[in-house]
Amino acid sequence: MKKAVKKFDARPKLNGSWKFLDDYSYENMIFGQLFYSTCHHGIIKNIIFPKNFDLNEFTIISAKNILGKNIVPEPVCDQPFMAEKEVMHFGQIILGIAHSDKKTLRDFVENIKVKYEKLSAIIDPKECLDNERNHFGKEILINHSNNEKNTGNYHKNIYYTQHQEQAYLEPQGAIAIYDETKKTMFVRVTAQCPFFVKSGVETIMGNAINEAIIETSEGIGGAFGGKEDFPNLLAGITSLLAYKSGKPVKIVLTRNDDIQITTKRHPSRIEIETWTNPLTQKIEKCNIDYRLDAGAFQTLSPVVMARGVLHVGGSYAIPNIKIRGRLFKSNTPSNGAFRGFGVPQALAAMEAHIDQIAIDLKIDPYLFRKVNLFKIGDEFPTTQKITENNLIDCLERVIKNSNYLSKKKEFAEWNKDNSNKKGIGISVGFHGGGFTGNGEKVLKSELKIIIEKNANVKIFVANTDMGQGAHTTLSQMFYETINHPKEKCRVQLPNTSKTPNSGPTVASRTIYIIGNLLQKLAREIQKKLNFENLESYVATHQNEFPREFRKVYIPDKSIVFDENNYVGMAYKDYSWAACVNEIYFHADTYKLEIIKSWNVFDIGKVVNQKIAEGQAEGGILQALAYANSEFFYKKKFGRVRNFTDYTLPTTLDVPEIDVEFIHTDNKIAKGLGEIPMDFPAPAVRNAFLNATGIFVDEYPLTPENIFNIIRSKNEN
Amino acid sequence: MKIKFILNKNEVEIDANPMTRLIDVLREHFQLLGTKEGCGEGECGACTILLNDKPVASCIANLIHAENGVILTAEGIAKTKIGTLLIDCFDETNAVQCGFCFPGFLVSSYHYLKTDGEPNLEKIKIALSGNICRCTGYQKIFDSVLMACEKLDLS
Ligand code: FES
Ligand code: FES
Repeated sequence: MKKAVKKFDARPKLNGSWKFLDDYSYENMIFGQLFYSTCHHGIIKNIIFPKNFDLNEFTIISAKNILGKNIVPEPVCDQPFMAEKEVMHFGQIILGIAHSDKKTLRDFVENIKVKYEKLSAIIDPKECLDNERNHFGKEILINHSNNEKNTGNYHKNIYYTQHQEQAYLEPQGAIAIYDETKKTMFVRVTAQCPFFVKSGVETIMGNAINEAIIETSEGIGGAFGGKEDFPNLLAGITSLLAYKSGKPVKIVLTRNDDIQITTKRHPSRIEIETWTNPLTQKIEKCNIDYRLDAGAFQTLSPVVMARGVLHVGGSYAIPNIKIRGRLFKSNTPSNGAFRGFGVPQALAAMEAHIDQIAIDLKIDPYLFRKVNLFKIGDEFPTTQKITENNLIDCLERVIKNSNYLSKKKEFAEWNKDNSNKKGIGISVGFHGGGFTGNGEKVLKSELKIIIEKNANVKIFVANTDMGQGAHTTLSQMFYETINHPKEKCRVQLPNTSKTPNSGPTVASRTIYIIGNLLQKLAREIQKKLNFENLESYVATHQNEFPREFRKVYIPDKSIVFDENNYVGMAYKDYSWAACVNEIYFHADTYKLEIIKSWNVFDIGKVVNQKIAEGQAEGGILQALAYANSEFFYKKKFGRVRNFTDYTLPTTLDVPEIDVEFIHTDNKIAKGLGEIPMDFPAPAVRNAFLNATGIFVDEYPLTPENIFNIIRSKNEN
Repeated sequence: MKIKFILNKNEVEIDANPMTRLIDVLREHFQLLGTKEGCGEGECGACTILLNDKPVASCIANLIHAENGVILTAEGIAKTKIGTLLIDCFDETNAVQCGFCFPGFLVSSYHYLKTDGEPNLEKIKIALSGNICRCTGYQKIFDSVLMACEKLDLS
């Protein structure tokens, strides 16, 4: 086996020399803080600043000071940078404030008082999603059905999932520096998508600047979707403070502020009714109502919903299927991107439902899946044809790796004599790579490389490395293609004035779209210059260098997707995965302990085994915690406030995680970023069902939730 | 108030409010930026340092606690023999993802290797339980520390 390629940034990260956002300082820099609403819905009556402070020392901005537009640029432009009169949710920003001393600033901001006229508010996700009146208006309908008759066995369930906090370990932050002579705004930011931030800053600044130049910090301390759109808003407000104060301004959110005001995973309510043929055990027909709580504003939620409805039918051949997707409105901060993007909710429901049907039909969930899983020639609800059987291979592998069949028997015996219970459960999943439908066509992603006189290769992409190892893997894809020395190849820090727009770092597209494009470019350069060895070519053709090469991504012509009717090819390539989880239920404490998680993936070609494993393991743990511990909504208050309330898994909570990538003939590296978060959660729920026979329709399965379910079951 | 302590093997003195958070002293006064602030309330371990040979969350410790004491930060540990061994092992397994938590893990792992060092997974999990990592799922961190324990045993 060849030796693993190591990450170029591991050592500086370990010894503390790699710079994250808060590690940057500039001359004359002052500090900023956000002042936000503590009212869930209301009209601002007045704002009272604390006495004993000299107001002249502070720079204070509100919606009135915005020089451009007070609308954060998003797929739906409905969210203001700062509230004007009405606040729509707890955490909505009202003021930006800056001062040279952090402590004075904090004392001042903590003592600002606002009088609100309170209006009615919905903060409980279930209350929001159960009531049709909270529907935002638009909907997506997929109808792949030619049978209006309902025959066979009928199965119906409604499933709920809750908010989930990204909990990137580095809080959000931005530093803005205004250049008066050039009329430019330079912003350093910890963010996934520098070009999104650029449009945010240019929108709030309007004609006051000629250009916003965005560069990320060297290190981006995790993101998981949480640094996809919120940084636009934060960078915008930081810029306005820098402009007004005439000094560089740094805002780094405290953890409390970060948790309370930034985007989360959308809570969902998913209703599924299914008809099965009792003889063939095949699913004949399925209707799904997929609802997401978008929060107070829609922002990018329609895109999350689109991906959700395209995955909620699961990996099953269903001849008649109707799916309806809708967004609901509540008085919580707008929910946003989080690894999985609508799919974890979809599979949490569908994979639980599949187990429910199997129980109704008295067949093992594994065998029921085998009968109904996609096979070559089957169709997605969008009519796209299935062209590979790799999911079945993943399922067979994971059943074997986990000893599912013998464990199931063994646990059934053990459970007879014990009040604690053991259980084992399955789930499967898939994730489309890159943007949905025509998204990649519209984007026209471009990347560039420069080959220098010393044969160093500089790679310029807008895609960020937020820990997923993208910059290591991308450069590996380039130098391995042309056999160039590894140390001579480096991805540059994304900067919007130097880097072409290769699109945002989202949708598992960095390796799948940009990596594969980079590989193509490498081959093209080799062919064009006709070299065996780039170093010797450069050495003998010095006058040709430095030289720049660019390439634009042009999607396959075969990808046609009708966005009005949701028919056609939603994604060109899909990654597939299957999971088995083993759990132990402590009957006295109601604690559901995950003992081990086995996972098998098809992600096409694996570029870097260790990096891919690490990505998978991290995503799987997030999914397992989504299933049994991470709970956001608090009855009285609406949101948790900090890490003390929000139970992230520690070294003592993590089970052993087994990851395998199956070998296929595929030469393409498919997406891996999101799928590990998509599918393992329902296998926890299904294992609990196997252990106890108790049906759970609400995630997460915290001791409190389990206790309530058992109690209400006993009462009935 | 003037306070003296030993920081990464050097004697230092600072004149500041004794209630200043240690993390601010390290980051702002001594420019030791390897100590990270992930939560500011003692929950995540990103700010872990060794104070008098014990792992401490520097975001909830104050300057006064360091008086006449000995502090080792990730930067200091990285220069020691055991620190280098640990860095080699974390690098070898490709454990590091975003890296924000890793200086803290380096400190806690170093402390484990110094005080126990048995290649025992359960013990390692307890030793690292004050450090949260959101990226890795911990598996490769465990592999790295186990590997370091084994290598230390051999040397
Ligand atoms: S920053 Fe100190 S424990 Fe989190
Ligand atoms: S590597 Fe990102 S938090 Fe640990």
